[in-house]
Amino acid sequence: MKNQFVFEEKQQFLEQLERLVKEGVNPKQITIFTPFPVHEAEEILRLKTSPLRFFTLIGALSGLLFGFFFTIWTSLDWPLIRGGKPIVALPPFIILAFELTILFGGVISFIGYLLLAKLPSIKRIIQPAEYGNQFVIHIQNEGQK
Amino acid sequence: MKPESMKQIEFNTTLEQDILVAMRKPRPVYWLALALSALCFAVGMVTWIYMMLKGMGIAGINNPVGWGVFITDFVFWVGIAHSGTLISAVLFLFRAKFRNVFNRSAEAMTVFAVMTAGLFPLIHLGRGWIFYWLFPYPNQRQLWVNFQSPLIWDVFAVSTYFTISAIFWYIGMVPDLAIVRRRTEGIRKRIYSIFSLGWTGSLRQWQHYNKLYMFLAAFATPLVISVHSVVSWDFAMSVIPGWHTTIFAPYFVAGAIFSGTAMVLTLVIPMRKIFRLEKYITLDHFDKISKVLLFTSLIVTYSYIVEFALAFYGGHKFEEAHFTYRLLGDYRYFYWLMLFCNSLLPLSLFVKKLRRKISYLFILSLFVNVGMWLERFVIIVTSLSKDFDPYNWGLYFPRWPEIAITLGSFGMFFMFFLIFTKVLPILAITEIKEEAAE
Repeated sequence: MKNQFVFEEKQQFLEQLERLVKEGVNPKQITIFTPFPVHEAEEILRLKTSPLRFFTLIGALSGLLFGFFFTIWTSLDWPLIRGGKPIVALPPFIILAFELTILFGGVISFIGYLLLAKLPSIKRIIQPAEYGNQFVIHIQNEGQK
Repeated sequence: MKPESMKQIEFNTTLEQDILVAMRKPRPVYWLALALSALCFAVGMVTWIYMMLKGMGIAGINNPVGWGVFITDFVFWVGIAHSGTLISAVLFLFRAKFRNVFNRSAEAMTVFAVMTAGLFPLIHLGRGWIFYWLFPYPNQRQLWVNFQSPLIWDVFAVSTYFTISAIFWYIGMVPDLAIVRRRTEGIRKRIYSIFSLGWTGSLRQWQHYNKLYMFLAAFATPLVISVHSVVSWDFAMSVIPGWHTTIFAPYFVAGAIFSGTAMVLTLVIPMRKIFRLEKYITLDHFDKISKVLLFTSLIVTYSYIVEFALAFYGGHKFEEAHFTYRLLGDYRYFYWLMLFCNSLLPLSLFVKKLRRKISYLFILSLFVNVGMWLERFVIIVTSLSKDFDPYNWGLYFPRWPEIAITLGSFGMFFMFFLIFTKVLPILAITEIKEEAAE
């Protein structure tokens, strides 16, 4: 069986991909390369939802908790009354916790992405794999890794 | 091969070539523009150093007007940044396809504008070399920053904004950097190989990429609203008449997007002409972005009206006096010019013909830039120059250091933008390809 298909156009590529899956090729053996994101391919290959959301969730929650913890702790560390307000004044701390939620959520999502997508890839930086504007389906044989 | 598929691959190849042409060896005009911006930037930096040596006394700021052009510039540049995020994140979530031709340059604008804006609080500090006191870090004096102060919220909001915008900009660019890598040779290929992180375009990369892009857009949207709200609270949290009002946050956010959209036009119109991108950035795109400009102008005008209405309806003597002063007092010409630029002139965009006239849009965008700068100047300076106690009244006009440093900030912004047009792909190539394939 042929193990590399190259297409110039999205529709033909998707048809071939669908045919392959119907013919019983294990979706795990199929690697595809596209010049832009093709959402239909994810459905055809029955990919699980990206686990990136867990990174985002954990990042955002840790930012939120850190925001409150840090502001409260530093205020108690040197308990000085400012402007007649309570030492632990939650309303302003909400703003800081909000910003840190976004900061941590964004940064940890980015790190999570690099881990999941296995980037940066040293091998590919030294020797880039170029597929141009073509849509490529690559099938790995059973034993091959 | 079907003729239709020929078209797709042909379109993609020409698109890549057209964008890559923009990155070729620059013409003398480019060097001239770059040299001019760099010169302005240098003038600004030298003035800053001189001011640090001589003291803040050489600037025009005084007692009572302690916040002048430096803070005006800060708010102005943060505002400019905002529409970049609007175009890249908010319009992405709304699936507004016309964003695709604007988003790369708008995001670049965001990053550079936040960098420029970030300098101004440091300049305004006077002793700029101890700027790190703004950050909470464990120190010998065992002191922490005051988290109840809006100025500290600003530090967190602006630095978060810079980080997230930079990540968003970069991650959106990785697939395009891989295209540049494929089409260049030698040392440049090496550099683009490193920055494209070894991108191949495999399904695994795209799948997580789409999710990341969506999450970042979802983060950036509330962030952009919070950042200018926090900036507005620098004013609104105090009790000065003209500042102490609840509409400040939405008023500032709308104003920020308004000014930023104008700056997008100011930058994209010449860029489109110089790099011959008429094929990609069409009149329809300009038509749509002008509607954003018109809409935000209407919100801003509405806020101007509400501000006055609240002051006079509230029965607060000082507020009434302040708004009378703003309209008819020492700075009245600034205020009238601001109304002309921000409220009156953009109304012309109701005419469809004008929305599609590029030269008109360019001139209008310059007026809006001026108008929005004046808006911040008027808000900051008029409120401080006449507050409660007549004994404490005083006028403010900028002196040369303020003017030189403002010039320097424009120099810095345009210098970075010019460098951007030569080293990075100026349009989001993959997104335009994706749109074209559908």
